[in-house]
Amino acid sequence: MQQRQSLPYVFLVPTMAILVVLAFVPMFYAIGVSLENRTLSSPDSHFVGLKNYLLLFGDSRFVNALWVSVKWELITVSATMIAAIGLGVLMFEAAGPKLRNALSLIFLIPVLLPRVCAAFVWKFAFHPLYGIITYPYRLITGQPLDMLSSPTQALFAVAFVDLWQWGFFFAVIVLKLIEILPQQPLEAARLDYAKPWQIHVYITLPMLRVPLVSLMFVKMIESLRSFDLIYVMTRGGPGTSTETLDMYAFSQGFIEAGKISYASSMAVIMMVATVVIFTVVWKRLKS
Amino acid sequence: MTLSRILAKTVLWLMAALVLFPLLWTVLGAFKQTVDLLTPVPRLFFAPTLDNIIYVLSRQSVLQALINSVVVSCASVVIGLVLGLPAAYAVARYPSRWTEEIQFFVLSLRFLPPVATAIPLMVIWLNLGLYDSRLSLIITYSLMTISITIWLAIPGFQRVPKEIEEAARVDGYGAYAVFFRVALPVASRALIGALAFSFVLIWNEFLIALMLTTSEAKTMPIVASEMSQLGMNVPWGILNAAVILLSLPPVLLLGLLSSFLNALFSKNPNR
Repeated sequence: MQQRQSLPYVFLVPTMAILVVLAFVPMFYAIGVSLENRTLSSPDSHFVGLKNYLLLFGDSRFVNALWVSVKWELITVSATMIAAIGLGVLMFEAAGPKLRNALSLIFLIPVLLPRVCAAFVWKFAFHPLYGIITYPYRLITGQPLDMLSSPTQALFAVAFVDLWQWGFFFAVIVLKLIEILPQQPLEAARLDYAKPWQIHVYITLPMLRVPLVSLMFVKMIESLRSFDLIYVMTRGGPGTSTETLDMYAFSQGFIEAGKISYASSMAVIMMVATVVIFTVVWKRLKS
Repeated sequence: MTLSRILAKTVLWLMAALVLFPLLWTVLGAFKQTVDLLTPVPRLFFAPTLDNIIYVLSRQSVLQALINSVVVSCASVVIGLVLGLPAAYAVARYPSRWTEEIQFFVLSLRFLPPVATAIPLMVIWLNLGLYDSRLSLIITYSLMTISITIWLAIPGFQRVPKEIEEAARVDGYGAYAVFFRVALPVASRALIGALAFSFVLIWNEFLIALMLTTSEAKTMPIVASEMSQLGMNVPWGILNAAVILLSLPPVLLLGLLSSFLNALFSKNPNR
């Protein structure tokens, strides 16, 4: 009996202690650095209070990055969910077991690829002069098509690559979710001559509400990790049209100015915003 | 077969093509010379060359990065297992009023934007003199591997039939022996999937590696992305070869990860 009492402590306490240290030390350090005026070039720094935060809100590039990040979240999350549900239902309706297995395997590939690789694959495909995707356009119009250099289209082109990676993966999960549902209600509806789309809109999807919302939650979190994709494909450009918050924090802290403190204040704001938003969403999901 | 079914199947095949075609095109590109790559009309037939692949594999920086990637990924995955598996087992088998809080805390670690942890960590590792070292990367990644291992291993342990564990107890096994000699082996198939997931996560990681390394400890994604900056023109053939080299390990784990997903989303006999 002794052992059964000690096991949860022995197994949990060291791991949790390490996680707390690894997570909270950088967090508090970021807060500390954000209250200074540290730069990469000079070692001297001193306390400046909330100056960095006040500067941020007057910084139009920060406001732009905030807006781009919000747009990025909305576009990628909604596109992924719509595509995944559509494709998952289509696989369930039209594919036999063999085809389903084959497609499930194929559709898993894009999400496993390093984002850097996905970005390069599609960057070349989008190449205005030599790309395979832009080839039909060139053939018909005789003009080059440069989506990644267009301020209005670049964000959508990058979002398409994100959709390519995540939409197929989620479609496989949607298929598996439908497969493990109790099939009797679907059979009953079929006997009543319900059309396939009616079965899914009125029966399957409402039954899957909870797992689908959880999937959406996962995508919301993962969409924030798109730095590599944007970095390789556009570097935030053209101009600042694809510059998300992490891109801007990176360029402030590393490329342009080495303003570590300024970048840290952005990091702190992102941390607080995401932790608060996702905690609220998660608690609501649970209840 | 009705018309709508034929249509639906066509769409499915088109989608499969949308996944595979860009990848095949990249593989072809790795065997092309620049004159065959940079053509206004895409070329399907060409005289293949091994130059790109030889160039990539013979570079010192690529070899160094491969070693770094393997060492860093494997070490952080192992740390994730050693610390994550016991914790996951405790959460799965010893529910208490803390269990839910712990699960949420572990999940919430994934909420943190990577750039937000990388910036302070860079300053910390600089101060400690560990910046641009494999050790600092391994420690940083351990946060990710421990938490992902806990999350993916909990369902694995929950699926171990309780009767087996109880039978072992009746046979005189202590609580620790039940974990090491019963639960771990029985759950091992699911756990290998979790291990593969956390390996792919670290192998693919870019932003933290970009910010925490400058030369010595650079990992493969960083070196691959730098290939686009050789000289004036982007060397697309070399880049394609680097992309393939970097993508191989995750793609080789495809079968394992797919069966892990299947198990995760099958009907749970214990519930």
